[in-house]
Amino acid sequence: MIKVHDIHLSFKKPVLRGVSLEVPHECIYAVIGPGAAGKSVLLKTIAGLLTPDTGQVWIDGEEVTFHDELKLAELRKKIGYLFQNYALFDKSVGDNIAFPLRRLFGNIGEDEIKERVAERLMRMSLPGFEDRNPNSLSGGQKKRIGVARATIMRAPYILYDEPTAGLDPVTSQRICNLIRDEAREQRSTVIVVSSDIQRLLSIADRVGMMLHGQLIFDGTVDEAFASANPYVHQFIRGETEGPL
Amino acid sequence: MSNGTSGALAIPERVGATLLGIAGQAGGIAIMAGQILRRSAPWKVDRYEFIRNMYRMGVKSLPILAATAFFTGAIMVIQAAPLVIRYNARSFVGWSAIYTTFREIGPLLMALMFNGRVGANNTAELGTMAVTEQLDALRALAIDPIAYLVVPRAISIVIILTLLCVIGDFLAIVGAMGMASFMLDVNWMLFLNSSLPRLEVWDFAVGVIKAFLFGIMIALNSCYYGLSTSGGAPGVGRAVNASVVAAASGVFIADYLSTFIMD
Repeated sequence: MIKVHDIHLSFKKPVLRGVSLEVPHECIYAVIGPGAAGKSVLLKTIAGLLTPDTGQVWIDGEEVTFHDELKLAELRKKIGYLFQNYALFDKSVGDNIAFPLRRLFGNIGEDEIKERVAERLMRMSLPGFEDRNPNSLSGGQKKRIGVARATIMRAPYILYDEPTAGLDPVTSQRICNLIRDEAREQRSTVIVVSSDIQRLLSIADRVGMMLHGQLIFDGTVDEAFASANPYVHQFIRGETEGPL
Repeated sequence: MSNGTSGALAIPERVGATLLGIAGQAGGIAIMAGQILRRSAPWKVDRYEFIRNMYRMGVKSLPILAATAFFTGAIMVIQAAPLVIRYNARSFVGWSAIYTTFREIGPLLMALMFNGRVGANNTAELGTMAVTEQLDALRALAIDPIAYLVVPRAISIVIILTLLCVIGDFLAIVGAMGMASFMLDVNWMLFLNSSLPRLEVWDFAVGVIKAFLFGIMIALNSCYYGLSTSGGAPGVGRAVNASVVAAASGVFIADYLSTFIMD
């Protein structure tokens, strides 16, 4: 379980203002909201990449906040992370995907690593891409390589930051289906931040809406659609008339 | 009245802000130096990254730094030539060229060239990784960016610049000998016999120690500005600019202090 309690974080001005939420085991939790609402910052805070001014984050009962980098490294082995801009390294596709295995798990042999990389690429519908350079790939392909790298450790917690941003509708739906299928098969707990609401809500179990650094809604997808909150109502339906 | 007061305060305010900025950067560099030292035990250094950086920083810098050293030696002779001819001091030309190259000009010029080539490149690489979230990706993968990226680069920069200074010293002698023979008709036997007995090992060591110190300056500044890059592609450009200027300033400060102490 991921538990966030009363997180405050400021960069000159407040970005997160008292955010609290709980993500149960094996749940796909969608974080939605307009731009600059604090969604990506919340995700980075959960992963321990940003330290909040006040408040706590627990993953599997272990506190993430206020640990030094070396202690956090152990906890991060339980977390897979897809970055908004892919954050692929200047290495081949195969080396990018294998990177966490080679660096973190010295007991896994090279044959097994290659096998697992090939399996991930097959799963991402990119077989035989091991030797390609990420710079030669399209945005959708890079996202899928990012998903492959985030999931190769079979970590129990996976965090996705804008997995469908800038992609065409078909590729976006494929990636969303991939996230859902991976989560079900690996029985992982997933948080997905996205503005692509319709697709995201089609795979999510629960949804939280961020606005101006606050979590203004937390509930099931059905509850979100039935919500009387005018911000949630307008945002989910994509209406131009309303308080947003 | 209020305008006059705010105008009068504007200058000290700006000076104060600049000093605070410099103090903040110096503090940041000092903290990073501590983090590097903490992770520099030989068994902790990533061997693959260390060898990769030694190759691309060292082997690939060798031609340009060799040329710098060769021409530095030659230029020392060209500068001395009018006086050598006027006072018929041919037996001093070798000593003066080697002495100044070993102790000062050689390590200084090579450090500035190295800063422009390797330091700037290092900042640009780390800066690009910072703005494209690759540093965060490393941390998210439980990999410490200081240990994985900074330590191998910093150690490589210091070792490579020190080694290149040693190689460059000998190439500078070759350049000086060639120019002395060409311009002043001083053959290599006379050049060496008139200079080597007047030189001490310490003259050579001073230059090598300086190169080591300059390497530390370039390593710390290029890594610090790279890691603290923000603001996309323009931010990378600003970081490279700041890094080159700060490292060059650091080299001159280290040169001044080390010359003061070792002479």
